[in-house]
Amino acid sequence: MASSNTFMERLGFRKASGVSEAGWGQTLFAGLISLIYFLPVLLIIITSFKLQTEALSIPPKFFPTTFFGLIPENLTFTPTLENYTSVFSRAMTSGGAVESTGFDRYFFNSIMIASVSVFLALFIGTLAAFGFSRYPLKGNDTYLFIILTTRMLPAIVVIIPIILMFRVTGLSGSYIGIIMLYTAFNLPFTIWMMKSFFDELSLDVEDAARIDGSSDFKVFFKICLPQVIAGLAATFVFGLILTWNEFLFALLLTGIDTRTVPVAMSQAVAGGGIGVLWGLLAAIETLFLIPVFLVTFFLQDHLLRGVTFGTVKR
Amino acid sequence: MTSTLSVPTNPSWFTPTADNWKLAIFSGLVVATLSIIAFPASLSFWIVGAMVAMVAAAFVINAYRKHYYGGLLVSPAIAVLFVMNIFPLLWSLGLSFFAYQSNQQTIRFVGLANYVKVLTNDLKAPENWANLTNTAMFVVFTVTAQMIIGFLLALLFAKQFPLRKYLLILVLTPMMLSVVAAGVFYSYYYDPTFGLLSYFIRLFTGQQFILMDNKAGAVAGIVFTDAWMWSPFVMLLVLAGLVSVPKYLYEAAAIDRVSGWRRFTSITFPYIRSLLMLALLFRTIEAFKMADLIILLTKGGNDTMTISYHLIRIANEQNKTSEGAAISYVMLFIVIVLTNLYLYIANRRTETA
Amino acid sequence: MSTIEIQKVTKRFGDFVAVRDADLLVNAGEVLCLLGPSGCGKTTTLRMIAGLERITSGNVIIGGQNMNELSPEKRDIAMVFQFYALYPALSVGENIAMPLHFEKLGAAEVQARVNKVADILHLRDVLDRLPGQVSEGEKQRVAVARAIVRDPNCFLFDEPLSRLDVELRHSMRGQIKQVLANLSKATVIVTHDQLEALTMADRIAIMRDGLIEQVGTPHDVFAKPANVFVGSFIGTPQMNLVEAELKSFASGKADLEFGDEKLTLATNAAVGKLGVGKVTVGIRPRAFAAVAKATKETITAQAELIEPMGAETLIHARTRGGNDIRVVVPRDKRVKIGETLHLQPDPAQTHVFASDGKAVRA
Repeated sequence: MASSNTFMERLGFRKASGVSEAGWGQTLFAGLISLIYFLPVLLIIITSFKLQTEALSIPPKFFPTTFFGLIPENLTFTPTLENYTSVFSRAMTSGGAVESTGFDRYFFNSIMIASVSVFLALFIGTLAAFGFSRYPLKGNDTYLFIILTTRMLPAIVVIIPIILMFRVTGLSGSYIGIIMLYTAFNLPFTIWMMKSFFDELSLDVEDAARIDGSSDFKVFFKICLPQVIAGLAATFVFGLILTWNEFLFALLLTGIDTRTVPVAMSQAVAGGGIGVLWGLLAAIETLFLIPVFLVTFFLQDHLLRGVTFGTVKR
Repeated sequence: MTSTLSVPTNPSWFTPTADNWKLAIFSGLVVATLSIIAFPASLSFWIVGAMVAMVAAAFVINAYRKHYYGGLLVSPAIAVLFVMNIFPLLWSLGLSFFAYQSNQQTIRFVGLANYVKVLTNDLKAPENWANLTNTAMFVVFTVTAQMIIGFLLALLFAKQFPLRKYLLILVLTPMMLSVVAAGVFYSYYYDPTFGLLSYFIRLFTGQQFILMDNKAGAVAGIVFTDAWMWSPFVMLLVLAGLVSVPKYLYEAAAIDRVSGWRRFTSITFPYIRSLLMLALLFRTIEAFKMADLIILLTKGGNDTMTISYHLIRIANEQNKTSEGAAISYVMLFIVIVLTNLYLYIANRRTETA
Repeated sequence: MSTIEIQKVTKRFGDFVAVRDADLLVNAGEVLCLLGPSGCGKTTTLRMIAGLERITSGNVIIGGQNMNELSPEKRDIAMVFQFYALYPALSVGENIAMPLHFEKLGAAEVQARVNKVADILHLRDVLDRLPGQVSEGEKQRVAVARAIVRDPNCFLFDEPLSRLDVELRHSMRGQIKQVLANLSKATVIVTHDQLEALTMADRIAIMRDGLIEQVGTPHDVFAKPANVFVGSFIGTPQMNLVEAELKSFASGKADLEFGDEKLTLATNAAVGKLGVGKVTVGIRPRAFAAVAKATKETITAQAELIEPMGAETLIHARTRGGNDIRVVVPRDKRVKIGETLHLQPDPAQTHVFASDGKAVRA
């Protein structure tokens, strides 16, 4: 009886059956909201194809073409790749001084620092989580509590002694220092998340493997790890997003050679207003966004499962 | 479980084996003390570090030989956390009882004077309290906005529909942006002369619009930016809760003719309650340390200074180390009280439910 | 009038046809079991009746009203889910009361009705507990209580007993049957357990691969299976199915040949119309008489495996032609492995299926 379908249902808003299924109508609605939400990012990407004069023009030029005359001429701009080529070729000015290193170096620093520290945290944290989960220690709860508390501290409270410590030891401005620091900040979350994953696993399989003669080492790598891939992926994404974009510690603790992209960007805009090269900055941010975006996109399914597993216990 | 709780047996004091942790501690202490006395800080730090590493190695070998795997697995994490979190925390606790400025050599024990100064001094205290109030205001506004927006976004994506995956990643993107880019580009959008906001308002009023020229506008601008960036985080947590509700419960509700509101309160909400609490906790802690966006958007102007930004300023730019340490401990105290309050409420809720 | 009728109902998931042209009629007060192996479409059929699954084509009529386009809320039905689907955050009492809120009853009325069903199902003591705090059997009873607390058009049960252990299952079968008998509503029960179906149902619909193979009373589906599948699916131990060659038919007796074995079997006249060709002979394991001497009406086989089942003994025997035959004999009949048996099938419990699998009956 197609006649009893409401207008909304024909548009794709199905409600009769299939409780969590929705049709193209939902896609349309969610698409609109998502686009509005994404708009500021989209504008950054658009700006990255504009020259400085176009970036500052009034009225703002939104469109790369006139779409066959649909869009008035004064709202369109001519897309250029100049910003992207100059990201890596031109020396940046910061507060008037000419930098010797360009953004290629900062990109390298960001990739290096973020990936090493996140992987390190994942490695150490997963081991520790397994330890907490399988070998209950005397005072286990105390250790766990301390670890969780360090997660809850605003990082800012340890900033003073860390600055002092780094100054004293000469770690200030080195890769090792900032990597160790980021590792430490990713650890509590990693341990906490991975522990709840290991807790959920059935012990029977592990016991069976041990009876079959597998070493503890093999049990961990061959039996347990493959079952917590979702957790590893989710933890990795969260850690990466936070570390990749971390600004305050990087600002205070990295040197000219180890400066990360966010810090370099903040220094590139020191003047503010018209002095900022908006197109160039947008190109940098767009490039900077791509790696995390891709990682998140490909691990997206794990992300949701990971959050659910790690936190909801029933 | 193959490994059992094994108390390390006591090795005799002076047998020089690799797992003799008593000897390691003893010799480590001696060498460390001597080096602190004899060498400058920059060198003695590394010597102390080496001694700590030696003791740790002795423990690790001892644990390995005794199949004490639990401790072995946990120790690297504990070590990193100790060096980078707990040790600095203790250090700054110590510093807060001294008068010390990092650009000067003198150091003097002053007891609680720093705390008295930052909390009650006629000159300092009002500023600190104002910054603390500002921080509280930002926490309330940003967290509320994030919870509401994040929740609504999660509801939007709770159902399965075509292209959902691709739209979801669009909404998640702001979270992946670096805070610098978000701050800088929002200042671009808010700019009175060439910013978008001003442009659109001018279309209606014909006048330039300066968002950031008063406190309300500046706060609104900051809160909007922060909420935009971090609502996706809340969304992700809530969404995880929503998709974890078994489908058959909704089917049963349909059969039982349960109304929409009752279905939400008695089926859906119990599944997302703990995740909502978690989101609230995380975002509150993060909002508490809000400094970067303010540095980028207002530089603390128009009375938008927060306690975190203030702390960075006096500790790093003005080198008032001890005073900063005292402030950070006041902050820590507040955060611990807050989180315990949260946990208390969360636990009580789950118990009564 | 509480009846359920489905007409030519088909469900497709993409290219896969889960249910094809299903026709069923359940009368008021009748209990119909949908029985079949897993994946046969029985649960899909039930969910289409409930409105949880849209039908691709056909009609679903409940209480004389076409329900095709109505959501589950509007169908006025009660259902017990396989995993019970108890609301985990609500107490047992609140769970049972859930379907009553729609009717906007007063709190006292709701309480009275909850108490009433709680008494019927012995749940009075656990009303304040959460579903997580009660036993599996109690959960199951809560699910049933939630279904019968109001007065719906019909009842649907999806594998209601599959999660209970053997003993509980036995007692719950009786309880549910008793409860249903007092309600006189059209009821559909989905199950894969034939014992459950045979004991609880007024009629059984046997499904395979999306098709309803046979609908009949428990007695009919056992005694007169419509085809090879139903014959083999109903009854334990499984019916013996022997591929045979029909050589000739004269005066009510068919001459059959399989392997090196010849068998003369009294059958109905319809078999005679088949003519010479391949047939399948189905003989229940309990339909054999072990006789002393080989005759034209016996099968000769050697005992290979002996399984005592308590009151009876199950013997796996092999004919010279290599056919495996299952025979059930009384406990006191001693058989040794390797012993040669002469088995005479009871013609009344023997079925001949034509080459298309359909039973040949007069």
